[in-house]
Amino acid sequence: MKSFKAYFKKEITEAIRTYKYLVLFFGFIFWPAMLGPMMLKLLPLILKNYMPAETMQLFSDFTRDYAFQSFLSDSFQFMLAFMAFVLMGLLANEVRLKRLVFPYSRGADPEGVVLAKYIHYAITVSLFILIAFFIDYLYVDRFFTGGILSLKILFESSLLYILYFCTLLSILLYLSSLFRRGLAAGFTVLILGFSLSIFNQFDTIKAYFPNYLILKAADIGHVFDSSLIPAIIISFCLIILFVFLSVLRMKKIDVA
Amino acid sequence: MIKVVDLKKNYGRVEALKSISFEVEKGSVFGFIGRNGAGKTTTMNILTGLIKFNDGKIIIKGKDFQENKQEVLKSIGYLPETPTFYDYMNAYEYLRFIGEIISYEGKNVSKLLEMVKLAKHKKKRIGAYSRGMKQRLALAAAFMGNPEILFLDEPASALDPEGRMEMLELIEGLKNEKITIFLSTHILNDAERVCNKICIIDEGKILLTENLSQLYKSYIQPIFDVEFEEDPTDKIDLLKKPEWVENIKENGRKISIYVKDLDYAKKEILKELSKLNTSVVSYQIRKSTLEDIFMRMVKQK
Ligand SMILES: Nc1ncnc2c1ncn2[C@@H]1O[C@H](COP(=O)(O)OP(=O)(O)O)[C@@H](O)[C@H]1O
Ligand SMILES: [Mg+2]
Repeated sequence: MKSFKAYFKKEITEAIRTYKYLVLFFGFIFWPAMLGPMMLKLLPLILKNYMPAETMQLFSDFTRDYAFQSFLSDSFQFMLAFMAFVLMGLLANEVRLKRLVFPYSRGADPEGVVLAKYIHYAITVSLFILIAFFIDYLYVDRFFTGGILSLKILFESSLLYILYFCTLLSILLYLSSLFRRGLAAGFTVLILGFSLSIFNQFDTIKAYFPNYLILKAADIGHVFDSSLIPAIIISFCLIILFVFLSVLRMKKIDVA
Repeated sequence: MIKVVDLKKNYGRVEALKSISFEVEKGSVFGFIGRNGAGKTTTMNILTGLIKFNDGKIIIKGKDFQENKQEVLKSIGYLPETPTFYDYMNAYEYLRFIGEIISYEGKNVSKLLEMVKLAKHKKKRIGAYSRGMKQRLALAAAFMGNPEILFLDEPASALDPEGRMEMLELIEGLKNEKITIFLSTHILNDAERVCNKICIIDEGKILLTENLSQLYKSYIQPIFDVEFEEDPTDKIDLLKKPEWVENIKENGRKISIYVKDLDYAKKEILKELSKLNTSVVSYQIRKSTLEDIFMRMVKQK
């Protein structure tokens, strides 16, 4: 518990002083939730003079729902990439740069260290996702009309994103303890995140993969339904599994 | 306090420690001496629970180290060879951070900074510290909470002469605090100055473990160096008479008398010298330095 507290505070200090919060803000909030909707609004105005009238007709179909779905697909990519590359060194750097020599030699417990890191960034990522979704709602609601998008739908959808990213975070955490270089962990998670979406093509099995959460988040009108149950259960199990494996790994690993 | 039995460690094919055994008594300053690559850091990393080992047994404070690691570590402090910190923190924040892990009172941190002469720089980023400042901060982090056993891995080797002196003074200060100190170094002068027991390690093997005073005694050479006021050449023959004198080497006003039985010679030599009826300026038994002993041990193999 003491190690947990010490490391939780340390992660906050580190995220501030090494600009992790700032970079995550750009990747999670600024680009997808603020710049995204603005571009979507401005694009037709910019292109007006260069495009034939029939093509311009397409843009007038932009409803609030469409704008939100566009945000979802943008944010999935941005959030995945930024999370993978900002947090890839979560454990790898601690070990490689021998930062754990003092804490470990003074009896810090690996459970505390790993849990502090996971919980701190799970909270960070969750908050950033919530903020991104609500900011996006403000823009979408102001710039576009039509559609059935509501705060309730938005909230449900953001919860699915949160669960998905917390799952990937646990995988990233474990890979970061496994590889000496964080970059390897970052790339693996990035590839994993994108490639698992392939299973969304297969109706019979798609509900058993975490990426189904992302699919359903964009299913405006029926975001929450019982088809989500397997993916939710599996995601929680994966989180527990990978956090547990990370603790085991950090107990065994040579830190000097 | 610390008992190590048949400890083995391999890095892949490299046998870094080939079954070493030794014992460190409570309250002693144990000098762990060896050349670069001898296995000092490896041993210390194992004894502080940072790396695994292949075979052997470690008992610290009467407890099996592997089975009670977390608990035993609570009474251990380690100053690693190249200490690393979270560079974005300042000294005060870092010590508070370590303090939180070991439940050390925050208000005592300032005193600790004072002790290692960092109070002035406590608000400066550790990343901007000099090597010597980092080393002193590391000593503070290791010494925090008065651990019963302190491991110091070459604490002075990388410092300039002034920093080295300061570090040795700090260590001598700790010596009075009755803690057990395990000090590795390849600077034999340092070891001679602060240690009371010496353990020589070379190529992953222990060559010798001995009290420093005992070590001098057993490695003392049976030679007397005598200096006269005037050239004694014409009187030397007299000195060669006793059957316990083996040989005499002359060098101007100085001579070296090699003897067969040191203890016997100690009693007789002054009598013989007085027979010469000349002025003796100095007379001493030649002392081996730790350096002599170390070189002899390492070469013997
Ligand atoms: N991480 C490592 N991987 C491979 N070999 C190592 C490693 N650390 C140390 N060694 C080897 O183990 C031996 C002992 O090293 P070390 O304990 O650092 O010596 P010392 O501290 O006495 O200078 C050396 O031959 C060194 O090359
Ligand atoms: Mg070393």
